[in-house]
Amino acid sequence: MTDYMKLSAAAVEAANKVGADYADARVNLLQLESYGLHNGALENASVSEECGLGLRVLVDGTWGYAATVGTDNSALHEVATRAVNAARALSSARVQHVTMSEDDVTSGEYKTPVQEDPFALSAADKVEYLQDVDKGLQGEESIVARDVSMGIRRERQWFAASNGAEQFQELVRTGAGVSATAAKNGVVERRSYPASFGGDYRAAGFEHVRSLNLAEHSTQVRDEAVALTSAPVCEAGERDLLLMGNQLMLQIHESVGHPNELDRVFGHEVDLAGASFATTEKLGNFQYGSDIVNLVADSTAEGGLDTRGWDDDGVESGRWHVVKDGIFNGYHTSREWAHRIGESQSRGCNRSEGWYNPPIIRITNLSLMPGKWTLDDMIADTEDGVLCDTVKMWSIDQRRLNFQFTTEIGWEVKDGKKVRMVRKPTYQGNTPDFWRSCDAICDESHWRLWGLPNCGKGNPMQVAEMSHGCSPARFRRQTFVV
Amino acid sequence: MALTKNYGLGSEALLDAATELVERAFERKTVSEAEATITLTVNSFARFADTGPTQSAERAKLDVHLRIRREADGQIFEAAASGQALDEIAMDKLIDQADSIAAISPAVGTPIELGGTVDVSTGSCDAATLTHGPGEKALAIKKAIAATRAAGGTPAGLYDTTGRAVVLANSRGRQVRNETTRASFALTVTGPSDDGLGGSGWAECIRGSVGELDIDGVIERAIAKAAIGQERGAVEPGDYTVVLEPAAVSSLLLFASYYGFGAKDVAEESSFLCGRIGEKAFAESVTIVDNWNHPMYQSRSFDGEGSPKRVTPLVTAGVLENPVTDRTFAVRTGGQADESTGHADTQPSGGGPSATCLCVDAGRVSSADLIGGVKRGLLVTQFHYTNLIDPREMMLTGMTRNGLFLIEDGKVIQPLKNLRFTESLLRAMANVAAVGSELDISGALFDGEVVTPPLRIDGFRFTSSTDF
Repeated sequence: MTDYMKLSAAAVEAANKVGADYADARVNLLQLESYGLHNGALENASVSEECGLGLRVLVDGTWGYAATVGTDNSALHEVATRAVNAARALSSARVQHVTMSEDDVTSGEYKTPVQEDPFALSAADKVEYLQDVDKGLQGEESIVARDVSMGIRRERQWFAASNGAEQFQELVRTGAGVSATAAKNGVVERRSYPASFGGDYRAAGFEHVRSLNLAEHSTQVRDEAVALTSAPVCEAGERDLLLMGNQLMLQIHESVGHPNELDRVFGHEVDLAGASFATTEKLGNFQYGSDIVNLVADSTAEGGLDTRGWDDDGVESGRWHVVKDGIFNGYHTSREWAHRIGESQSRGCNRSEGWYNPPIIRITNLSLMPGKWTLDDMIADTEDGVLCDTVKMWSIDQRRLNFQFTTEIGWEVKDGKKVRMVRKPTYQGNTPDFWRSCDAICDESHWRLWGLPNCGKGNPMQVAEMSHGCSPARFRRQTFVV
Repeated sequence: MALTKNYGLGSEALLDAATELVERAFERKTVSEAEATITLTVNSFARFADTGPTQSAERAKLDVHLRIRREADGQIFEAAASGQALDEIAMDKLIDQADSIAAISPAVGTPIELGGTVDVSTGSCDAATLTHGPGEKALAIKKAIAATRAAGGTPAGLYDTTGRAVVLANSRGRQVRNETTRASFALTVTGPSDDGLGGSGWAECIRGSVGELDIDGVIERAIAKAAIGQERGAVEPGDYTVVLEPAAVSSLLLFASYYGFGAKDVAEESSFLCGRIGEKAFAESVTIVDNWNHPMYQSRSFDGEGSPKRVTPLVTAGVLENPVTDRTFAVRTGGQADESTGHADTQPSGGGPSATCLCVDAGRVSSADLIGGVKRGLLVTQFHYTNLIDPREMMLTGMTRNGLFLIEDGKVIQPLKNLRFTESLLRAMANVAAVGSELDISGALFDGEVVTPPLRIDGFRFTSSTDF
């Protein structure tokens, strides 16, 4: 047993001694590197490391949590006492006991498969990589901002619980992206590759960054940003919507992932993030989408940002249908919440942002399964539509029904052909109507995972990561607004 | 090191540690400038819902950030490292990490030297807030749950107390420290319904100490906003006169804070200020100042470079003023680095300066008269998931939430199902018809808070609706 695992186990023991009915402890060691070039200058070169311990206890049916920076063994009694005293004090306001599912207890080790250790590569090599990418962005006067960035993260966690679980995980995530912002005639537009807000992230080593081939795409990014400043605004009206994967992934996240979190369904997130329209009486019978829509949650998916051995309840990762053949089929749950829908075991979705935060239900890797179309055939089959690419803006109501999204770029599709570029394509809709209108999904050759590293939930808010896989898809007769 | 709130915030000791870190870094022959920022956060929170307390934490964390510069052949190379410990080994590790990255980094384009000695407020720390524990929070939670259930609703909320010490020291003798405390209590009340889509109400109180919190007022307002038992009507999307309560105004103005009022946004032509500085783009009744020292803010007195935060006019009687700066943009906009308005992020940062303490001047119209002057319009409690479509026009979209009401002939007559707005902040601020007299502080889904009165705005555009 490593020293940190011993520390977690000792924290659990300390909690038991001062009266915890259940306890789990996590020591987290988080290492980050980030590099960013802005207009060719190194604007950000930083490394960070944090390590701390979070202890969760259940006392008299009420949770308590205490967290402390560092890994000082002598602090354990005090941390345990704080957590237990907090739970005990708060239990005076308890209405209902917390009940946890009896999931299988397992111990072991999980590590993200890594081909090229991103931390072994020198900072000089990483910065040089970004500089090569930046070259392709140069040479256009109307480009006012050129950004190339890279992030590398390694999280090690030593988890122990009073049910005997001892689990070590090492999760490695890498990502990079490029964007260009053009300003001309009072219009400012941005293009990004392969996705907006820092690019695409994956549970992998530096091989993922290399596979993005950013340098090969940066000139196209630049040219499209410039072209957008003189492109017409996408017109309002009802047309078919063709979504590329780096936009569809956010649609999955916002209109399927979040409403599928069971704590939201029961109103426990309504104080900030919101509730859900996907209430429990709909499970097993609600037509969430058309019959070609299959959405699968999978915390074992290769490369997923939430691919791990266990969640922060100590429950093993798994795979299940959230929507099967269009019918609402399952929720994201935790040990605390599974019994509320009559399930005896958790889906393993309880996660926290590091040692500082207690866990809450989070979306895991959630993907739209591939269909049978090629992208060319889907476009050729569309009489009047708009092909939308790359997230620009998103907004959805607190029950996850009414949404409005804008993408960075769009192309009008007329009589089976992409005819002209449009800017600010903005579509507005309703979640079930949207998914029910899906009549074409591209095949496996177009399918890939997209990393989403900035999901906010909780109060105080926590940030989590997950991936969403999809291939381009078509949604009939959607409402475009200006 | 075990940090708990019982140890206090101790910003003097933290400043000594930051100074030591800078001195240790500066001992390296390679280091030409160094700057250390240390933040200690001590937090206690308890969330609650229909089952009682659902989540809590008693926690503390320390963030140590070191920025160093190397100089070689007339060029400057810069990097940063962050950690969470202050012993000698940890300090040397940080210095090694930052220095080794700076050694291989390309030169910084036009570096501005670090700032020298300044004098700033050290703030204050409320002991009762710092020691406020779960037992005291449980009392308020019990009261909120009982009152909500008695009214026929379902509760959800957060009680949070935070103490924060921030210190900064650099190799040019700048040494600043600041301590603040913050307390907040918020309640959301959801009404019963057959379809799970019942109406909801919300209220929040944010202050510098727990003693200033009006828990009873929050409970009363949240329950009233839920309008339990009242039939919820529906109106068609379209242009309406609206009375936006402070939380709704905050949700809009925060986007000017994130994306518009900073000098980098203007320099890169991505701000609504571009081409409009000096123009009366907002209604004459609208004046906005960035003021960290407003009594409702629990903000520190210096920015991420240790520069004093200056009270900075942003909109004066409707006229758009110059953007806020940091040391770099103070120079780029033609001034001296020490003329920075004090709006830098922790450095190095790609974000550029930003105005994070927006204060809208109060007017003279009571809340009752704001509503009383509306022939037919909407009262908006809060917006949800507001986001930015276009930075130059400040085109925003978002949903109403937790209390939308129909106003007719100067009276609030009915709760309504929610609407989506798609509206330009510029257009909305130009259409401000009346400014309320009562200030409040509130945030939104994303970061930040705004101090503002309620506003009455004509012709505010709603573009779609919901069934709840």
